Amino acid sequence: MSDIQRIYHENIEPKLESLNVRRKALQNHYFIAILGIVGTILLIVILANSGVGILLLPVIGLVVFVVIRFIKISRLSKEYRADFKANVVAEIVKAVNPSWTYEPDNMIGQEVYWQSDLFRTKYDRYKGDDLVKGVIEKTDFECSELHTEYKEVTYDSKGRRRERWVTIFRGLFFHADFNKEFMGRTYVSPDVAEKMFGKFGQKFQKFTGPAPLVKLENVEFEKEFVVHATDQIEARYILTPTIMEAILRIKQQYNTQVHFSFVGSRVYCALSINRNLFEPKIFGQVVNLSEIENMYSLFKVNEVIIHELNLNTRIWTKE
Amino acid sequence: MILLIVLAAIALIAIMVYNGLIRKKNEVDNAFGGIDVQLKKRYDLIPNLVATVQQYASHEKELLEKITQLRAKAIGGNLSNDEKVDLDNQISGALRSIMVSVENYPDLKASENFLNLQRSLNEVESQISAARRAYNAAVTDFNNGIETFPGNLMAGMMGLTRKQVFEIPEAERQNVNVKDLFKS
Repeated sequence: MSDIQRIYHENIEPKLESLNVRRKALQNHYFIAILGIVGTILLIVILANSGVGILLLPVIGLVVFVVIRFIKISRLSKEYRADFKANVVAEIVKAVNPSWTYEPDNMIGQEVYWQSDLFRTKYDRYKGDDLVKGVIEKTDFECSELHTEYKEVTYDSKGRRRERWVTIFRGLFFHADFNKEFMGRTYVSPDVAEKMFGKFGQKFQKFTGPAPLVKLENVEFEKEFVVHATDQIEARYILTPTIMEAILRIKQQYNTQVHFSFVGSRVYCALSINRNLFEPKIFGQVVNLSEIENMYSLFKVNEVIIHELNLNTRIWTKE
Repeated sequence: MILLIVLAAIALIAIMVYNGLIRKKNEVDNAFGGIDVQLKKRYDLIPNLVATVQQYASHEKELLEKITQLRAKAIGGNLSNDEKVDLDNQISGALRSIMVSVENYPDLKASENFLNLQRSLNEVESQISAARRAYNAAVTDFNNGIETFPGNLMAGMMGLTRKQVFEIPEAERQNVNVKDLFKS
């Protein structure tokens, strides 16, 4: 039995029962609220057909009832979520490494997001949660879920205003000490243009991107990623053959779009994951073993990146 | 009229190809400059290293003299790029033998000064290898430029020839043979 399975059975499963009670209560509230909405609509339809004024009072009553229900649901949801985070997610973080701290309602700061320079589109909404902080040997890191969006306003042919939220980044955001002071900036991004347009796409990459294009020797790496850097030599100093292999392995393990940037003396990494992470379900089982394992592997990303990039081998110094 | 447009287009393309090749050539020179800077950094570390090792390891005189000589030659100037590369390889070899012989002197190995030097050398080594790779990338780009159409038509006229990429010296490519280290 793997570590996480044992932890699931010993530490998490016993707590699921009380969570389940909360979940069922919530479910009932939802059910009643929906019934209330259906009842209101029915009453309005009857009212409209018969024109009996006396029925107006029950309609108002029902609307008030539904509103109160939803206020209650929102409060209960918050409690349920807090309970889940404290008893399930916190346990998983502890299972990965007991010395890490976990703050369910905190996130990576906006200034860090800007410093990383990974996503340069101006955002209108910045959300996140599940902040994990820690130190692995000598390397400090921070990681949280983030979701940044901007508002797109369009007008159709009739001049009607339409608003739409467009995601810039959604997933796990990570940064750690690289123990080297970089003079320039180096960016590793998924190679979208070259994959779609081949050689022509590569020409395109020369003109776009935050800095001049860097072509590296590792063919497989070049296929997956495109590198831009302000300093050609520094980019190669950071992206040694070993580091290129490591970045490829990280990408294969999590099988998603991965962005890296090396700025100041830190490495920033963004793993795109297009769903809400570390949240409980209201309909269906609170959480199952495979979801727990999934969360475990996501928290493990901190360790994986630090070990793969060999950040603990301090042959370099910052001086 | 049409002839005029065609001629103008051909002239424009020729200018673009010409500029492109010159740019690539300059990038190669610039990249070699990058290596030079790092090599210079390493030369600057050598006197310090020699002084530190001398204190603890008087038996290694020969080795230290050799590396001092190589350094003098390297900073003497008037060297062609190929000579620089050759000297650099010799210095790398000499530095490696010093690092191996250091194993016999535990006091030296533990000295703060030596540890700092070793760290600086490591740092410079990785900078040198990064600079070499940057140079190789620039050379490959240049070679591709002069050997593919339409660059190849211009390259002959401009007197540009293929440049050699850096190769890792034979000694570095071999795996370290632990047995050899304990001979002699």
